[in-house]
Amino acid sequence: MSSKNEWLTSLKQPLNLKKKKGLIDFVIQLIFLILTIISASFIVIIIVFIGKEGIKPFITDNGGIGNVDLIRFLTGNEWLKGTAFKSNLYSVGFAIINTLYISLLALLIAMPIGVLTALFIAKIASKKLSAIMRTIIELLAAVPSIVYGLFGSGLILVFVYNLAKIFGVQSQGGNSVLATILVLAMMILPTITALSEVAIRSVGKEIENGSLALGATKTQTNFKIVLTSAKSGIFSAAILGIGRALGEATAVSLVAGNAQSGPSLDFFKTTSTLTSIMLQGLKETVGLDYDIRFSVGLVLMAVILFSNLILNYAKKMVGNVDVK
Amino acid sequence: MKKLVLLLMVLLSVTLVSCGNTATWDSSSKITLYTRDTSSGTRAGFMSGIDYAEAAEDDSKLSAGFVTKDNTGILTSIKTDEYGIGYISLASLDDEVKGLKFNDVEPNVANVINDTYKLKRPFNYVTRALDDFENDREKEITLAFIAFLHTTDGADIITNEGAISLPSSQSWDDIKSDYDICSLDNSDITIKFGGSDSIEKIALALTAAFSPKCGNFIPEHDHTGSSDGFKRTQGTEKDSANYKHIGFASRPFKETEKGTDDTQGQLAWDAIVAIVHLDNQLDNVTAEDLKKIYRGDYGIWTDLLG
Repeated sequence: MSSKNEWLTSLKQPLNLKKKKGLIDFVIQLIFLILTIISASFIVIIIVFIGKEGIKPFITDNGGIGNVDLIRFLTGNEWLKGTAFKSNLYSVGFAIINTLYISLLALLIAMPIGVLTALFIAKIASKKLSAIMRTIIELLAAVPSIVYGLFGSGLILVFVYNLAKIFGVQSQGGNSVLATILVLAMMILPTITALSEVAIRSVGKEIENGSLALGATKTQTNFKIVLTSAKSGIFSAAILGIGRALGEATAVSLVAGNAQSGPSLDFFKTTSTLTSIMLQGLKETVGLDYDIRFSVGLVLMAVILFSNLILNYAKKMVGNVDVK
Repeated sequence: MKKLVLLLMVLLSVTLVSCGNTATWDSSSKITLYTRDTSSGTRAGFMSGIDYAEAAEDDSKLSAGFVTKDNTGILTSIKTDEYGIGYISLASLDDEVKGLKFNDVEPNVANVINDTYKLKRPFNYVTRALDDFENDREKEITLAFIAFLHTTDGADIITNEGAISLPSSQSWDDIKSDYDICSLDNSDITIKFGGSDSIEKIALALTAAFSPKCGNFIPEHDHTGSSDGFKRTQGTEKDSANYKHIGFASRPFKETEKGTDDTQGQLAWDAIVAIVHLDNQLDNVTAEDLKKIYRGDYGIWTDLLG
């Protein structure tokens, strides 16, 4: 993320500029700085708010129910043991595993399809076709998640149910790990395609021409030169894609089956993710059962942060080649 | 390679969707349970209706491997899942799933009203004791509202919100001359409603329709649960800041909740129906059957059908 550097320079610049440039420049830069601070402070406000609510279940006695055990919360394999509103035995350990497992597999499906589509649009398709395809991808990216969810519960569930039957497995109405992966893969595909396409298009023409001049075919150039040169941008696409997959709630809760325990690794078993657990019954519940969802939100934010750090580290390892 | 795999999957799905339902129904299959989540009022009603109230808010009392969905989610899943069983509110039942008879009684509105279909819960109301209103105007409006509940106008609203109204023969226009208070301007009066949150939607719709008919009094809704219905009108909290003029309970009033004369009654039924796939051979269940299914005593359909 280069935003950190920009942030630092934007902090320093107004001070340096005083010497040479006019007052107007200084004022305008100051306004920009203030706007940046405002937008950045939203994340702080959100974290403080979620954090405050999310820590409550662990440090208060929750109206007589007793405080939630943090270790149990992070490692357990059953969402709630005992009666709702009376028990404090919550845990999301299994859901953390489910969330990572599902998001990773969704990424595995969406990545090759997305990147190859992007390559086609950016390098192979004719101008007209690529313009049409780009619009379609942008449209797909704008489809709200509830629509993907309805599509998933209408078609994907039936598909998975029948697929399971062919494998001789009786699935639970198709509500399963596989259905969730398929819906998520579909959802993150446009994000990955759109961003990869930008990365591929920004590969320098001279690199490409150099490869062609050395006698490589167009296909060899596309795969060995263009894709490898754009890998950093493609990695960014993967990071945003998995971010969306990790945080998706509505569509997931319609097809996952909302298992109350786990982890579920079997493709045809019901599952639940951190987000689907947060969403389930959210509108009707009160007290600890409500507050604990903020704690799940905290865990989710930690999981997203952690996976982003890992992917960013991997991106740095992969390196970068002349991408403008 | 991956693209090829995907292509194959797409082809497979097309063939599957087109020839999905050719297999016959196999009673040795596992029963797939569908349930609402622990905060659902329908779940509370269903579990107490099958005499398994301890499972209303405790998932560990249910047979393992159940699927948690909302009302529509259960309905659509049962359309696909030949071996599933779930429950929905009677108002959402359609002919793409099979609504099971409960103790040999067909699930329909007529049987709910004549009280033969038993898988249901009453929606009840309770008002403050008639001599315990701050002033006569509040009391008159409260009484007018209760009368409105039993008119055809009230019944229409209740039906629209998915519950089953009690039979009524008079419209509000027929009886409004008995309630002089409603011809006055009541926009300075606030009437407080509370109790069951399952009834909140209905209560909101009722007051939204009734307030303009009765001098635009201000309805104030604060629905916190059935037990607060009595508590905040005639019980321990009746004089607290949380007091209510009218409370609701989505269950019968308990022995300890007997109010003074003419302050309690019923406004509707909330009926729940157990549903299975159309191909399922099961037509009728008892409370005992459903309890055994949801508790996990019956694992496969043969256990139940014999």
